[in-house]
Amino acid sequence: MSSTRRGFVQSLMRGSAWAAGSWLGVRSLVSALNNRELPERALAPTNQKWVMVNDLAKCDGCRDCTKACTKMHFVPPQQEWIKVYEITGNSAAGSYFLPRTCMHCDNPPCVRACPVGATYKRTDGIVLMDQDRCIGCRNCIAQCPYSARSFNWGEPPHTPEELAHKYDVETNYPHRKGVVEKCIFCPHLLRAGKLPACAAACKMGAIYFGDELEDAVTNSKGETMQLSKIAENGAGFRLMEDLGTEPRVYYLPPVNRKYASPEEKRRHDAGLA
Amino acid sequence: MNRRETNLLQTLTHSGPAFYTWIAFLGAVISWGIFAYILQLRFGLIETGMGDQISWGLYITNFVFFIGISHAGTLISAILRVTDAGWRRPITRMAEGITVVALCIGSAMVVVDMGRPERLFNVLRYGRIQSPILWDVLGVTTYLTGCVLYFYLPLIPDLGILASDRGLPAARRKLYSVLSLGWTGTPTEWKLLEKAISVMAVFIIPLAISVHTVVSWIFAMTLRPGWDSSIFGPYFVVGAIYSGAAAVILAMCIFRRVFHLEDYLAPVHFRNLGWLLLSFSGLYLYFNINEYLTISYKFQEGEKRLLTQLFEGPFSTYFWAGQVTCILIPFVLLVAVLAVKRCEPFLIPVLGLASFLVILGAWIKRFVIVVPTLASPFLPAQRLPEKWMHYSPSWVEWSITAAAFAAFLLLYTVLAKLFPVVSLWETREAEPADVEHGTEAVGAFGPRNWGPVATAVLLCVLGGGLARGETAAKNKKMEPLPVTISATWKALPPEAPLPQPATGTYSARHTFLFSKPLPGFSTGRAKADEVAPEMRPVEIEAQARDARGEPLAFQAIGFSLKGALGTLDFGSRPSDGEGKVKLVIRDRRYGRYPVTVSFEGDESHQPGRATVLVDFGPRPAPALPVAGVLISPYFSPEIGLPFLFFYGVMWCAFAYSFGYLVLWRMRRERAHRRPL
Repeated sequence: MSSTRRGFVQSLMRGSAWAAGSWLGVRSLVSALNNRELPERALAPTNQKWVMVNDLAKCDGCRDCTKACTKMHFVPPQQEWIKVYEITGNSAAGSYFLPRTCMHCDNPPCVRACPVGATYKRTDGIVLMDQDRCIGCRNCIAQCPYSARSFNWGEPPHTPEELAHKYDVETNYPHRKGVVEKCIFCPHLLRAGKLPACAAACKMGAIYFGDELEDAVTNSKGETMQLSKIAENGAGFRLMEDLGTEPRVYYLPPVNRKYASPEEKRRHDAGLA
Repeated sequence: MNRRETNLLQTLTHSGPAFYTWIAFLGAVISWGIFAYILQLRFGLIETGMGDQISWGLYITNFVFFIGISHAGTLISAILRVTDAGWRRPITRMAEGITVVALCIGSAMVVVDMGRPERLFNVLRYGRIQSPILWDVLGVTTYLTGCVLYFYLPLIPDLGILASDRGLPAARRKLYSVLSLGWTGTPTEWKLLEKAISVMAVFIIPLAISVHTVVSWIFAMTLRPGWDSSIFGPYFVVGAIYSGAAAVILAMCIFRRVFHLEDYLAPVHFRNLGWLLLSFSGLYLYFNINEYLTISYKFQEGEKRLLTQLFEGPFSTYFWAGQVTCILIPFVLLVAVLAVKRCEPFLIPVLGLASFLVILGAWIKRFVIVVPTLASPFLPAQRLPEKWMHYSPSWVEWSITAAAFAAFLLLYTVLAKLFPVVSLWETREAEPADVEHGTEAVGAFGPRNWGPVATAVLLCVLGGGLARGETAAKNKKMEPLPVTISATWKALPPEAPLPQPATGTYSARHTFLFSKPLPGFSTGRAKADEVAPEMRPVEIEAQARDARGEPLAFQAIGFSLKGALGTLDFGSRPSDGEGKVKLVIRDRRYGRYPVTVSFEGDESHQPGRATVLVDFGPRPAPALPVAGVLISPYFSPEIGLPFLFFYGVMWCAFAYSFGYLVLWRMRRERAHRRPL
């Protein structure tokens, strides 16, 4: 190449032609790789979008949901796939109970950061956990702002009932050592047209569950309410909306509740009532 | 071969009882660590002190620490090489050795931390480029390859020298001769080698910076207080170079004493590296102040919990101990020994002590970065077992950590026994007299002749519904007449959307960098979900009559919809004078549902009901949510391409400098004996 101005311009042009050519090449390669249907496992059995609504005004912190969940999923000890928190922002404002399942976020940090796609989003909105694939790096635990994930640190204690089942990604049992576990919205019950174990077990009828596209959520008492009418009884909220995780679990504020507050309950338990 | 080289070569062959004791000691510590790891493999990570609350501990601390130490070497020696600092020559080999060994140990620590190490290859089989873990796998593998090459290339001439040294045992000479790739030392070979080393030196700098940046991104890509920080990349890089420089100085102090390398390692080397360490301690102090001042000034909820734990809570001892041993004491020591004339005679021991403190402090600092953040989650820790609330490492973790350090020392010792710790040919070029004058500033970049090398940095069905009448065939009593209800529905034209409160003009979809596919690219992500089908208001009209055909006027007619899990009650509407009733539904609903129109019955009428299948419009096609940033099960080009490009360039550079220049060209030139 001559070191003239023309030579320089020519080399520039040749360079840009190369750059444009390789860009087109990369583009078509990537499109060929990506222009595929979603993988089989990401396709839900039904075209529904599951959503949960927890009416905090009805939650009295009895933890029946936790017990039902643990029983149904044979959840290993020390894990609570649905945990009932006692939330105290500040003492003057009072406290309330808050059941926390997996939020099945639409922008799930865990799915984003899983190195092997062991945790993945399904078209019905459920974030599933593939125990056959999980490598146990616990990056998802670090990622989840809701502390919704647990890890099997040792071999989980098994029961004959649990071992009688064959492992299925929709049930997540029998449980295994060295993998991450969490609430999976009971997909096998949803398939059967039943409410998830926690929602079915809630005596207060605080947990509503349903299909967002149906605009209806139902609780254990068979009460069905319209998701889009939540605002009529005082706007609902999602946990940590500011984090941009877009959870699929909604909460109705703990107003006009008809049971003891966490403080009153504690005072009662302490025999001070 | 002069006296100092003879002395250096003696270190390769002469091993006293102290050496064997040292090896035996390290071997014992490693065996104990292996025993602990076998236990952990057998019973799982339950053998550690970690829990669901604090799920990363010593292993990840060690990983970050060793990757940090690895910056010692290569970065320092590459920068010094690029800047053509003559005094670097006796120390580059030691620095590069630390890098290679530290990287091997660091990456092994991640495998030790895994719950399912036997599934390690899932990372290759199912790897998702959207995950920071993959960036690390990519980065660390590339870096390790680069560092091994960068250690090996400058070793080739020495291997040539050693292969011809008759003072060495035959087996050793055979090894050196194979590794030297037939080096003969012709000018052509020198020219090619110099070029290869220069290319590697230039590419290793951005590579080293990228590696510690992606390590920090494992943390910075989370939402957790204390990790969710934009300065984590450079903060980690500076910390890494700082601890790496200290590791080099400490190694120099030890080798100088043990191998009697006073002839090679003069005070000037220590003084220059001392200045480098001092400037990095200042820089690291600045990053610490920047990191903690900005969050403690605002004291937000999550960060408040973290800072309370760090400044005065359970982690305060580690936090302050880290700051004092990592920054404060070394800073004071370095200033004293470098700036105060009276302290000059103690230069080397004091520098050794300061370096040891920096390394110790750096390890504590890594622990303080990893653990306290996990101990202060967004939701309060409730109903967790007591042992999960506080992290105290188990003996298994301590044993494996000790074994990691021992393995580091053992591998480094083996390297030092196999290859000369000081480059023979490089120190031949520079006479000792030249070394004494070599006091040029460390950070100054100078242009070199081999020409500029560009450093690439990344950085629903219309129509009538089936009306089905249902007659209650119960004629128990004469009075209540059966009621017949007929219901029809029709879709109303879509309405203009209600005015929404102004939320500004931006659209979230176009704001986030990674929520929209790159122009021209299509990803496996939701396409159908992009445009939500319009809402279709529906009008249901029912006509209720009794058995005589009289309309049921002014009665309450109830409407309900049967969904998948429950029945949605719309309440009841009064029928008009003709027994007609209308219900308009404007809901966010898609799909076809049976709507039941019912009359509960009164004294003169039996209950009656009718069900009509109402179509609220087609459901959107199943898709993954558009809001899901980077959750695609496939390769996301918007984040994957930059990473692949960056590390791809690195592999090209390796292929060029080692594969082409050294393996191919050198061999060909040798075969044809052609001048370059």
